[in-house]
Amino acid sequence: MRSKRVLIPLYRDEVAPRFDLASAALVAVVTPGEEAIPTTDFLLPQPSAEGVCDLVLQKDVDVVICGAIEEEYYHYLRWKRVEVLDNVAAPARVALERFAKGALRAGDILFAKGGSDAR
Amino acid sequence: MKPLSPEILASLDLAPVLDGLPLGVAVLDRDGLLVTMNAALERLTGFARDEVAGVPGRHVLRSGLCHKRTAQEGPADTDIVNRHRRRIPVRLHSLPVNDASGEMRYRLDLVEDLSALKALERRLEEPGGVGGLVGKSPQMERLMRLLPAMAQADAPVIVIGETGTGKDAVAETIHKLSPRSREPFVRVNCGPMSPELLEAEIFGRRQPTGEITPGAFQRAGAGTVHLSDIGELPEALQVRLVQFADEGLIRPVGAAMDVRSQARLIASSPVAPEELVRAGKLRRDMAYRLGALRLDLPPLRERREDIEFLLAHFLELYAAKFRKKVEGFTPKARRLLLSHDYPGNVRELRNVVEFAVMVCTKPDIPPACLPVHLLGHLGLAGAGGE
Repeated sequence: MRSKRVLIPLYRDEVAPRFDLASAALVAVVTPGEEAIPTTDFLLPQPSAEGVCDLVLQKDVDVVICGAIEEEYYHYLRWKRVEVLDNVAAPARVALERFAKGALRAGDILFAKGGSDAR
Repeated sequence: MKPLSPEILASLDLAPVLDGLPLGVAVLDRDGLLVTMNAALERLTGFARDEVAGVPGRHVLRSGLCHKRTAQEGPADTDIVNRHRRRIPVRLHSLPVNDASGEMRYRLDLVEDLSALKALERRLEEPGGVGGLVGKSPQMERLMRLLPAMAQADAPVIVIGETGTGKDAVAETIHKLSPRSREPFVRVNCGPMSPELLEAEIFGRRQPTGEITPGAFQRAGAGTVHLSDIGELPEALQVRLVQFADEGLIRPVGAAMDVRSQARLIASSPVAPEELVRAGKLRRDMAYRLGALRLDLPPLRERREDIEFLLAHFLELYAAKFRKKVEGFTPKARRLLLSHDYPGNVRELRNVVEFAVMVCTKPDIPPACLPVHLLGHLGLAGAGGE
C-alpha cells in the first residue's frame, strides 16, 4: 500500500473544531509500516473553507481529517476523490497516530474526557 | 436576592427544567469542558450529551466563535455547523455562573436557533414582494402592506380569490410572517372528503384505546390551520368552528370533552362569503367571524401591469431551475403573452412560462415554444417564427 498524504486543519494542537475557521493546517505523510510520520505545518492567509480546499488540492492530499465541515465542502472534496473523515474531535497528533494504525473513523471523539488534553 | 444554599441546589432536579427550555443550553466547567447539555441543544448539534460530556465545548457547539482564545460574553449572532454538516444561524449568549464568593464555577452557553428568523429575512428581501408573493401593481402593493399587520393578529382570516390567484401562498405567508412561524402550518382542503373523514381530519379522532389520532388542530399546535374551500365545509362542522372562534375549544371525534387549541384559523374560498351565505353554503355566524380580517386577491386580468413583471420573474426562476440560457421572449411572443386574459391567473402564467423555458432552445422564447392551448386560445394554433 502506498503512502497517504493527510491534511488536518488545526486549532492550536487540536483538529480544528471548524474546517472553515482554521488558519493553519498540518500535512502528514503516512507510510504503512513506518512509525515516524513526517509533518509540515502551513499557515493560511486567512481562515476560509475555500482556502483549506485549495491547500488540499495543491498538496495532492488523499485524506482530510477534520471536525465540523459543511455539506458543500464535504461533497466537493469527495468529488475530488479526497477521503474525508469528519466530526473528529481530538488532539491532532492523537488523530494522526490512530489514522496510521488504520483505526480512525469519522465521528471519533478522542479527548481524554476531563483530562489535560481538553484544555 | 438571597443565594440558594448548596443543600437546596443539590436537592434540585434541574435536568427536566433544562430539557423543557426551548433554547439550547450547554453547561461548561471553568476549563470549558462540557458538563451537560439539554435536549434542545442535542437536537441542534446532533450530539448526545453522554457521548460528549467532558469534551471541550468548542468541539460540540462548533460555533463561529469557537476559534477565539477567550469566551464570548453577552449575546452574539453567529452560526454553528452541526454533526449533519448543516450550518445553522444562532444567537449565542454566554453567562458565567459564580459561587457565593464571586468565583466562576460554570459557564452557561445559551443557543437560540435563528433559522426561522433568517429565512423570514431572506423572504422579505426577495424582489417584488412579501414572501413568495410577486407583484408591483397598486392592488398587490396594498395587499403586501396589509399582510404583516394581519400576521400579528390572532383573529381568523378569510382569503378570497379566483383559482390561481395565490390564496394558499397568501395563507402561508401570513403564517410565516406571524409570531407562530416556528409552529406548523397545516392545510386541509374541505372539498373532496366525506363529512365524517373531514371532521376527523380537522378535529382529530379519539380511538377506542383512548389515544387521539391528530387532526389539523392537533398537528398545528400553536401554529396555523388553513381550511381551503371553506364553502364546501358541512354546516355541522361550521358550528364547531364557530365554537372554536369564540372559545378556542375543539372536540375530537368520539371524545366526550372539549380541548383547548392555540391554533389560528385561516380560511379561503374562491367565492365571497356573502355569496356563500346567500347560496346557503356558509352559516351567517361563521361568515361574520371569518370576516374580521378579509383579503380579496385581485385576478390577474384586473392588474395587467403585473403580467410583464411576472413573466420576467418566472422566466428567471425557471431558466435558473432548468439551467438554461433563456433571457427573454421574442417581441411577437411577448405581445401574445401580454394580450392573454389568464383565466387561471398566476398559476396559468407560471405554467406557461415553465413550459416555454423547458422546450425552448434559443436565447429568446418564440411563439412556437408557447403551449398549444394558449396559441389556440389566441387563435394562433400552429404559430411559428419569431
